[in-house]
Amino acid sequence: MARVELQNVTKDWGTAKAVDDISLSLEQGEFAAVLGPSGCGKSTTLFMLAGIYMPTRGDILFDGARVNDVEARDRNVGIVFQSYALYPNMTVLQNILFPLRFKKVPKAEAEKSAREIAELVEISSLLDRKPSQLSGGQQQRVALARALIKKPNLLLLDEPLSNLDATLRLSMRMEIRRIQRELGVTTILVTHDQIEAMTMADRIICMNAGRIEQEGTPEALYTRPETVFAASFIGSPPINLLPGELTADGLRIGETLLATRGETNARSVKLGIRPEHVVANGHGIPAEIISAEALGRETLYTARSALGDTRFLEATSAPKYKAGEQVRLSFDAAHSILFDAERDRRLEGVSAHA
Amino acid sequence: MSGLQRIARPAAASPDWSRLAVRARRLGALRRWSLVGFLTLVSIPILLPFFWVVVISFSARTGGVDSAVLWRACAVLVPCVLGYAAAHVLFPARQHRMVSAVVATAVAVAGLWLLVGSDLHLDNYRFLVSPNLVEEIRGAATAGGQFPWVWNAFFNSLAVAATSMAAKVTIATLAGYYLSRFAFRGRSLFLQSLLILEVFHPWMLTIPIFLVIFWVGLLNTLSAPILVLTVIDLPFFIFIMKGFFDAVPWDIEMSAMTDGATRRQAFWHVVLPQAYGGIIAISVLGFIRGWEEYVFVTALRTGNSYWVMSTYLYYVAEDVMGVDYGLVAAVSVFYMLPSLLLYLFLQKYLTQLTLGGVKG
Ligand SMILES: Nc1ncnc2c1ncn2[C@@H]1O[C@H](COP(=O)(O)OP(=O)(O)OP(=O)(O)O)[C@@H](O)[C@H]1O
Ligand SMILES: [Mg+2]
Repeated sequence: MARVELQNVTKDWGTAKAVDDISLSLEQGEFAAVLGPSGCGKSTTLFMLAGIYMPTRGDILFDGARVNDVEARDRNVGIVFQSYALYPNMTVLQNILFPLRFKKVPKAEAEKSAREIAELVEISSLLDRKPSQLSGGQQQRVALARALIKKPNLLLLDEPLSNLDATLRLSMRMEIRRIQRELGVTTILVTHDQIEAMTMADRIICMNAGRIEQEGTPEALYTRPETVFAASFIGSPPINLLPGELTADGLRIGETLLATRGETNARSVKLGIRPEHVVANGHGIPAEIISAEALGRETLYTARSALGDTRFLEATSAPKYKAGEQVRLSFDAAHSILFDAERDRRLEGVSAHA
Repeated sequence: MSGLQRIARPAAASPDWSRLAVRARRLGALRRWSLVGFLTLVSIPILLPFFWVVVISFSARTGGVDSAVLWRACAVLVPCVLGYAAAHVLFPARQHRMVSAVVATAVAVAGLWLLVGSDLHLDNYRFLVSPNLVEEIRGAATAGGQFPWVWNAFFNSLAVAATSMAAKVTIATLAGYYLSRFAFRGRSLFLQSLLILEVFHPWMLTIPIFLVIFWVGLLNTLSAPILVLTVIDLPFFIFIMKGFFDAVPWDIEMSAMTDGATRRQAFWHVVLPQAYGGIIAISVLGFIRGWEEYVFVTALRTGNSYWVMSTYLYYVAEDVMGVDYGLVAAVSVFYMLPSLLLYLFLQKYLTQLTLGGVKG
């Protein structure tokens, strides 16, 4: 149950930077999710927190005290590895008990809490099996139980739910969140699944190429992405990003001029607009539907117009438009996000609409 | 055009699946049986000498071997053993194998009893119980008490084999782990030089080794062969163990350390158990190497300062008895037994060696 800080932490592998000057601070009991593409340094960051890797530069602080030199075994960090890292020579029960072995917990007591935690992650019937006799999802839950049993100061979850089916994943999300609240343990969850990140976490940390692109509440990341990367990585189906030129007259995208509000220094920009904010209601820019995909609750269309190819969503489960049909697209200024194409930053106080 | 299609169609009609299946089954059976037959033929010349030795040891009387007994006994034993081998291959279930083993043994015992029962005796094994074998045979003056009781040689061999095995396994395990896990300056050079060592056959080094052992003052002691055998096998064993440790995932060890284990505890509780296969394999190889060693145990003694089983067998075969085949065969069987038992009980682990690692 610790306050955790990273101060300008860098991890080099030879000349390559796996983690590049990251600063981050987590309040006690906070639940943060790390989102980012493969190879962006998520696991490396967790390993540095766990004490497995030594940062090349920078400090790691637990409750304000520098722990760079504290050994992994003294940090009391629970970690679920991406590969589960179960001990193949031990049964499930022995795996879960392993962390207690070094804490000198009396045997009966240890077994009791192991069974409780196994109950919690629904693996009670598997306690006598070896990890090789478990499915991927079952192994993940064993790993989770093993990380939780030691009542860690910091819980690190490296894609702990990636191998579960949709139903189990949903219930495990809630379980993890519930356990996390109950124990009040500071938690970092690494995931590729943004829905997971958005539903579970108090805060999302979006990483790219070893750096933090943006951090904030799920809502802030979704509605006010600071960079093009954050905008495009978060949201599914992904945001529309349309390159254009900001001029005194408005925003020029190809041949089309869109009305703008706010500051108008001429520069090249990208217009971001989420698919659910584009509407086909009979006025605006003429476009031709080129594809319609039924997603279940809603339908995702791609339409070709003078702006380029644009995705938009309609809340009907059966497609309303067919490919080749003509529609008119528009969107609100409030939902438009403009990025400076050169600096790759969001432009404050400008908006466009059609 | 349409005429052509009409002609072509019947050929493309659905094939006669059951006929194809029958043909595939027949081909499969044929292949299987020819393989079994081939292996049987090849194994007969390899197996026969072993049976001969065993049969001779139980049947020969001073002065010679009755070859009729030999052939009759082998005519019983070889089919029984091959029959059991075939059963072992064909029946994967444990009970079936047990049953076939019992049947094969019963048939063998009955056959031997009928054909050669009256010719079998335990006389040749008297060396196990009589401390002064040579004196019994040649009279007290001949050997001058130099030739030991077999148990003396047996326990010396055991000491050489077991001690060198323990040393080899311990060092190879620790060194293999270290080489697998720690990057240190000169590691690749070290690995390369380990390999280079394999180029030299140890016998090429007999004289330098003799000199070193002489200077160290270990000549004519059992420590000499123990030391030399350990050193000779180490490079290869280190390589084997490094391979086994390389196959143990790194994050399991890290996980143990975040779970509160020290590096040593992680090694002991988590990493080592996954290299058991390798440890058993090198233990068996290492033990048998020491058990069977002849060259260095003879090269590193100048008189009859110590006896081991290989020198004992050699002495029995060449120096004393000359023609007492029965005794030579009996000693051979006795000498062979421990290695054979080891192989039989641990072959499961030895075959892992060729796979080059452990499965997860
Ligand atoms: N031991 C290592 N030696 C050298 N480079 C490494 C090492 N571990 C990781 N890297 C590199 O560091 C970068 C970050 O790796 P990391 O495992 O943190 O990625 P990740 O964000 O967890 O990706 P994924 O989502 O695929 O798990 C990668 O480019 C990787 O190649
Ligand atoms: Mg990772």
